[in-house]
Amino acid sequence: MRKSLGGLALAGLLATSGAALAAPERIQVTGEAIDTWCYFSGVMGGADAVVGTAHHTCALWCAAGGIPVGLLADDGTVYMVLKLEGDDETNGGDTLLDVQSERLVADGLLYQRDGINYIVVEKVVANEGITNLNHEDYGPVPPFAIPELN
Amino acid sequence: MKKLPIAIFALFALHLLPASPAGAQDFSEGSQAKSWGLRGEEPARFEAKVVDILCELTGNCPANCGDGRRQLGLLRSDGVLVLPTKNGQPIFTGAATDLAPFCGQDVEVDGLMVGEDIPAKLYQVQLIRPAGEGEWQKTNRWTTVWNAENPEAAKAEGPWFRKDPRILSQIEDNGYFGLGKEADEAFIKEWQ
Repeated sequence: MRKSLGGLALAGLLATSGAALAAPERIQVTGEAIDTWCYFSGVMGGADAVVGTAHHTCALWCAAGGIPVGLLADDGTVYMVLKLEGDDETNGGDTLLDVQSERLVADGLLYQRDGINYIVVEKVVANEGITNLNHEDYGPVPPFAIPELN
Repeated sequence: MKKLPIAIFALFALHLLPASPAGAQDFSEGSQAKSWGLRGEEPARFEAKVVDILCELTGNCPANCGDGRRQLGLLRSDGVLVLPTKNGQPIFTGAATDLAPFCGQDVEVDGLMVGEDIPAKLYQVQLIRPAGEGEWQKTNRWTTVWNAENPEAAKAEGPWFRKDPRILSQIEDNGYFGLGKEADEAFIKEWQ
């Protein structure tokens, strides 16, 4: 049977209330700004190929297209960015577009909800630029990202 | 000491339980979602309220879910907040623009839960309608909005991502790999 809004209403109320009361954790994340759809869905291959320089143009497309941008930390954890230095335009905004594929050191507030890590980045402490030069291994991903190759 | 009524105990116990990961239940019944051959994909049709995720988590709540600026979520009746990351168009487009007209409303959605070996799956919304009524709508509003915001670019041939002024500017400044045009030229020369 399909799930309806009427079912488990009390459980929903409690779970929502509990989440609303949860305090964020202050964290510092060092990681790459990535396109989360391609990274998690496998639509363009393995995770190693859909980050870095190989995937830079596609990451621009996806960020401009409003796909959530994440910070892929060195330990493999992905933090969904909800705000970047005061800018809440995470549906295709310029601020996130400008940092695609770049390795950032970000101070912010972590909110964990239903298995997903969300981060409100208060300050980018450092921007190391694009450091993952994986186009040397994979070429452009997808290949049609560079029209001159087709 | 008086015994705590069972109902109250049950409420406390429920309150202390962690919420389930977004993909932990089976919502496949009745789904018309089309397969995309994605990692760990599962059809999922359910009812939920469209919410501003930043508002839901932090209490920062501008009017109308931020008027399309923010990422939007699907809050199910069991309290689980599902993160929609993709609409139904195969053109690098997210879900927030398609969800924005439904801010604060109860909707029914149909699509795919996606991902594996992660704490929670993400959601691709393929179809949406007001809860309990109405015709299903395909989630393809993104292109209409982009065309309205980029009338000159929209006149040119090709898909939006080949002619979007901001993307063209980024590639002009930093190249396809983000390393500058010289890196692009060297790679293309070696590739061909």
